[in-house]
Amino acid sequence: MHFRRTLATALATGLAVSALAACGSSSGGDGESDGEVIEGAEAPEGATPLDMWVFAELHADVYDDMAVKWNEENPDRAIDLNVTVYPYQDMHDKLLLAVNSGQGLPDLADIEVNKFSNFVKGDNPPLVDLTEAAQPYVDDIVQARLDLYSRNGKIYGYPTHVGAFTAFYNTELLEDAGIDYTTITTWDDFAEAGTAYHEATGKAFSVSSTGVFFTEPLAIAQLGGQLFDDDGLGDVAVNSPEVVEAMQMFQDMQETGALATIPGGSPDSEEGYGAINNGDYAAIVYPAWYTSRFVDYMPDLAGKVAIAPAPQIEGSDTLTIGGGGTGTAVPVGSEHEELATDFLAYAKLSLDANVAVWEVLGFDPVNMSVWEDESVTHNPDNKFNEYFQTNLFDVLNSVQGGIGHFESFSNENLPTVDNWFRTVTLNEVYENGTPAQDALDQAQDDLQNELGQ
Amino acid sequence: MKSVLYSQRLAPYFFILPFLLTLLVFWLVPVGRSVVMSFQEVLYGQSTFIGLDNYERLWRDQVFWTALANSIRYMVLTLLLLVPIPMVLAAIINSRIGSSRIKGFFKASLFVPALTSVVVAGIVFRLMFSETESGLMNQVVAFFGFGPVRWLREDLTGLFALLLLALWRWAGVNTMYFLAGIQAIPNDYYEAASLDGAGKVQQFLHVTLPGLKPTIVYVTTISVYGGLAMFLESFMLYAGNNSPNNQGLTIVGYLYRKGIQENDLGFASAVGVVLLVLVLAINLTQLTATGTFKKESAR
Amino acid sequence: MTLQRTTPPPVSEPTLDARPRTTRRAAARAQGVLLLVIAMIALVPLAAIFVGTFQDGNEIIRNGISLSVDVSELSLDNYVMLFTDSGLYFQWFANSLVITVVQVAGTLLISSFVAYGFAMYEFRGKNLGFILVLILMTVPFEMLMLPLYVQVNNVGAADQYWAVVVPFLAQAVTIFFFRQYFLGVPKEILEAGRVDGVTEFGIFFKLVVPIAKPAFAAMAILNSMLIWNNFLWPLLVLRSPEKFVLPIGLNTLLTPYGNNYELLIVGSFFSLIPILLLFLAFQRFFIDGMTAGAVKG
Repeated sequence: MHFRRTLATALATGLAVSALAACGSSSGGDGESDGEVIEGAEAPEGATPLDMWVFAELHADVYDDMAVKWNEENPDRAIDLNVTVYPYQDMHDKLLLAVNSGQGLPDLADIEVNKFSNFVKGDNPPLVDLTEAAQPYVDDIVQARLDLYSRNGKIYGYPTHVGAFTAFYNTELLEDAGIDYTTITTWDDFAEAGTAYHEATGKAFSVSSTGVFFTEPLAIAQLGGQLFDDDGLGDVAVNSPEVVEAMQMFQDMQETGALATIPGGSPDSEEGYGAINNGDYAAIVYPAWYTSRFVDYMPDLAGKVAIAPAPQIEGSDTLTIGGGGTGTAVPVGSEHEELATDFLAYAKLSLDANVAVWEVLGFDPVNMSVWEDESVTHNPDNKFNEYFQTNLFDVLNSVQGGIGHFESFSNENLPTVDNWFRTVTLNEVYENGTPAQDALDQAQDDLQNELGQ
Repeated sequence: MKSVLYSQRLAPYFFILPFLLTLLVFWLVPVGRSVVMSFQEVLYGQSTFIGLDNYERLWRDQVFWTALANSIRYMVLTLLLLVPIPMVLAAIINSRIGSSRIKGFFKASLFVPALTSVVVAGIVFRLMFSETESGLMNQVVAFFGFGPVRWLREDLTGLFALLLLALWRWAGVNTMYFLAGIQAIPNDYYEAASLDGAGKVQQFLHVTLPGLKPTIVYVTTISVYGGLAMFLESFMLYAGNNSPNNQGLTIVGYLYRKGIQENDLGFASAVGVVLLVLVLAINLTQLTATGTFKKESAR
Repeated sequence: MTLQRTTPPPVSEPTLDARPRTTRRAAARAQGVLLLVIAMIALVPLAAIFVGTFQDGNEIIRNGISLSVDVSELSLDNYVMLFTDSGLYFQWFANSLVITVVQVAGTLLISSFVAYGFAMYEFRGKNLGFILVLILMTVPFEMLMLPLYVQVNNVGAADQYWAVVVPFLAQAVTIFFFRQYFLGVPKEILEAGRVDGVTEFGIFFKLVVPIAKPAFAAMAILNSMLIWNNFLWPLLVLRSPEKFVLPIGLNTLLTPYGNNYELLIVGSFFSLIPILLLFLAFQRFFIDGMTAGAVKG
């Protein structure tokens, strides 16, 4: 090791002096730009600089607001927050490389739930234990969402939203087809309405996504199943009866024309927004944060969409689960671990933070005290309230006791399984018409091989 | 000092020193490291030797074989496209008939795509191959009376898009290589063949083709390299490393997914080692069989 | 392999072509049409992106790009955005320019150096050395990217421009081209220099480099093209957005969370301009240079 290092250094200095001199000068100042690096308000003198990486520009706005409030409330522990927005894939790749090498780490980072397991592998994960700092808030927080980012009883990331699955119905289209969405409670109702809609209009009622593995886990959880054995904590088990039943249910719906694939592979893609905005699909079952996509990308549907509880499995206690999500973490090795942790708890779990999550992002906040504050939730000037016919929080409160945690989402092998479904299995089932059982048996086989289980 | 500067014996070593250093630091050391890591499990800087486990997993790994098959398929098909077509185009450009202005324009337009980065080319092709009716390629098939094709969702149409992208970007460059090669063939050969009563096609087969052998070897070598190592084209076309049924996944894509996206550096290194062995085996065989080594070292 | 080959041999008038003129003219016309058609097809993607710069970015992502345009929907909004509200775009542009210039200069110097050593001297291990060059040409960088990346991190060079540049200064393909060229340089020049008391390096810089100008010009263009468009390695090394080079920067615009599609299209189009200008200005050098360095018997 020492030998290599010496050589590389020698080469670097010897060969590259001229190149260095020329390049170095142009690399210039940090954060002087006004583009991707988003500067919060002027930080007070002596504030501790904290670097943060995120992958969604809007998240940065919330953190900046929270940094300002933090500095007002904690003048002695002021921070100078520098949020950098990277593209989704790049940010996770870079962060993974950074924690691996211990070089160039940020003090705080957003990690998307499907990537989270990559960062908490092994017994000694490179993320700071955040359990302590969460204590003041923990009673108000949806426990399932803390579990999602916990391993061995320690919290390694704070959630951004619940992401409870809800249903979005385009009432204009449904009325034309003579369908009343309020009569839909179970998946059977959903399938029936879908078939009727398809027969009436020739169009698909809802979406079968091949690019995201989202709605299926909801049904699996409602059926009481998991993607891994040992209640979701063990080895891969994607051909278990509940998984097969759920996949079969969606495949049947696809066959009757109730579901169809969507351009872009999922409702959460630019092509998908276009299709939904065009009225090509009448119902979307997606996490609550999809409100923001409607408001931002489907202006033509303003006033035409109703939010309702997600379809259920009859007799199941699990009414909905959280889908997607972002866990914010503090990488081990940050110079200001403690300060970063305390700020993060405040910026993610406090009441103020959660009001901002709703008002700025339109997400369903994890702090449930927000859900009960009518002045916030039913504010008529809120752009999300203006857009939708029904109120998101009415829907959330109606399922509050039934928000389940899907253990499989915290399995360390979730990224591999998720990837497998998104590239292979969902295509087999929805595109190639492979019977669900066969596709899942195959997936089980291949995944066992890939994971060495 | 003085004698050093004037020494003919030492000078060549000074000249090739940068190369030796590069070779050592940026080639041999990484290769060695790759080999070592391929026998390890690497987690957050802690490495444990696990023997041949990574290679065993690789052997049983369905996705790896898919990726390997995709890369080989792509390599073979690009060879079939990017050697003969540019060769014929070069022969046409070099022919005595036709306007030189048109030929000049042709050369430039064929070459310009090579100036675009994979990023830009990938974005444009992705948008051209959009599955909506209004995408360019679907307008083309509609012109011939066919319905919209979901280009990037199906294996063969996706492959078609990748091949077209490769052809578009590299046909000009290869044509230029072949043109250079053709122009290096002495004119007397053609005249002699002409005197023997050989027609244009026969001249091409019996004079041009043999004369182009070194160019063919060179183009084939870089195409094998480019074909097996293809990654970015697919990465951009599919807007990421995931494609339906992994139809766009290549060996390097798999290496990237495992090593950089899933943090399994040991396993990814094993993928890299296999790829290295594969490329070296193909190209060394080829360069030996065509006598390139012997010739080059005899200079 | 001789220097004379750098320009195409004069085309001698056909003496034995007995076919009537009209047939030849028809053949020429057919050939012209064929070449023009192929050239047009080759330009379609570029035309499409050019048209796209006047369209709404989100619409393009939703509906794909095409050549059929509703003229009333075209606007200059994207250009306005590019020049007023493009964030780091021009910073990336500048970074790319600097990196390209520095790296091209470095590559030419180092690679020509190495090629000269191989072409002009006899020394132990020369054959082995050159075979190593050939082998290096056949090994894709992608295979080495992981260990190389780890290595760069270990020396603390992540996010440093020199780590982007240095590993590729001794570029095998460029060495190969230069060597071909130098082999055609008469050795008498070297002897004359030595008699005059010039150092070995002096001979290279003062006597050989001036002769090899066309090769330098051609390699400058070829390398500029590669480096200007370089993506994967800078992507791994660079971390701060303000240090990104253009292709990485453009790729970052392709994200569903940013809503930057307008800038993506117009930015992609703009990124073509410097390299296109370079090519058009030096097209003749370039084609000659390719000829000069091409592999021959």
